Amino acid sequence: MDQDLQLLERCLAGENSAWEGLLRVYTRKIYNLCYRFTGRAEEAEDLTQEVFIKIFQTLRSYDAAQGSFSTWLHRVARNHLVDHYRRTKKDRMTGSIEDDLDTLVERPSPGAGPTGHVEARERKEQLQRALDRLSPDLREAVILRDLHDLDYLEISQVLGVPQGTVKSRINRGRLELARVLKRMEGMRGPAEAGSEL
Amino acid sequence: MTHLEIENLASDYLEGLLDPSLRVAVEAHLAGCVACRELLGDVRQALELCRVAEDAEPKPWLISKILLATIGQRQPTWRERIAAFLHPLLQPRVAYPIAMTVFTFSIIVNAAGLNLRSLRFEDLNPRTWLDRANRQGHLMYAHAEKFYYDLRVVYEIESRFQQLRGQPQVQEEETPKPAAPGGGSSEGSPSDQTMASDGGAWVVVADRSEQPPPAASTQIGFTRAGRSLIP
Repeated sequence: MDQDLQLLERCLAGENSAWEGLLRVYTRKIYNLCYRFTGRAEEAEDLTQEVFIKIFQTLRSYDAAQGSFSTWLHRVARNHLVDHYRRTKKDRMTGSIEDDLDTLVERPSPGAGPTGHVEARERKEQLQRALDRLSPDLREAVILRDLHDLDYLEISQVLGVPQGTVKSRINRGRLELARVLKRMEGMRGPAEAGSEL
Repeated sequence: MTHLEIENLASDYLEGLLDPSLRVAVEAHLAGCVACRELLGDVRQALELCRVAEDAEPKPWLISKILLATIGQRQPTWRERIAAFLHPLLQPRVAYPIAMTVFTFSIIVNAAGLNLRSLRFEDLNPRTWLDRANRQGHLMYAHAEKFYYDLRVVYEIESRFQQLRGQPQVQEEETPKPAAPGGGSSEGSPSDQTMASDGGAWVVVADRSEQPPPAASTQIGFTRAGRSLIP
């Protein structure tokens, strides 16, 4: 954290290399946050860039008393993602969960095989598809807690809601995620069995 | 405890955040409820999937893209510019020739007797350099030679050697000799001969003033640069 503050101070002093240092530390995290929300690499890339432009423009508004720089960064990113979600809501109103699941079953993961790398990629894609099925509130809570390892206090600061609400959303999000994953597995099983016949 | 209560406590139970009494109650319900046990198993699997899920890799140029969008074309600092300029020069294959060139140049400048602080027009003439280098070389040679002959051990060895070679003739020529300028003398010693100094180097010359001109082979002389002072 101290390192973040030092980089931030140097950055505010106009040192470009400090800004580059901050980018090197946080780009991957913010990109992953965006990717988990959108499920699309190109879109996540654009969103990451937009988030950092916003961060760069509002860097002076960061108040260390309000929480860590990482938490502030996540909050800005999350707000931007929510805005983006609202903006693009109409575009995503194209089908139901069942449609998506059918697509998933019809289009098995390419290159499925015994190697660990392929399995890991399959798991990642499966998780991403399941996360896409969650409502934004539940999705963001689960992502921040289980994929970004933020604690309840940090998540409540990022989301701007009480810790009790955070806990409730995380719990509901996990239950929903488990159900979606199970349904996906249930639909994949018969499909794979059918393809083998 | 109901199914709904179990659902509400699922996360706390899996994270070990429940009070012991509540935990016992949940476990008691799970022991008799297959559906809830299955549900918690599914949640546990989902959490495990999150834990092992690999991070998505951003494109390598994403940071450069953001930098370009935020601070534009980044201006390197002076330190970075100097480091970038020196970096190729500090490579061994470049640094070594440069060092050797500087070293050689300094030797040439020294040998040519050039004073870089007050250069004159004639200093730029290669002929001047050559003359000065030539003179410098001779001077160095002369200094080295003088130093060599000034060494007492060299003098002693040469004197002994001379003494051994010249002893038969010296014994034959037992004629009275004037006292050596340096003081005491003894027969057969180097002081039987005249010791002259020429430019600081001792020259041992056999005293043959009373003798007829000897044969060339009996002339003994140690002079500088191999030339005898005896005509």
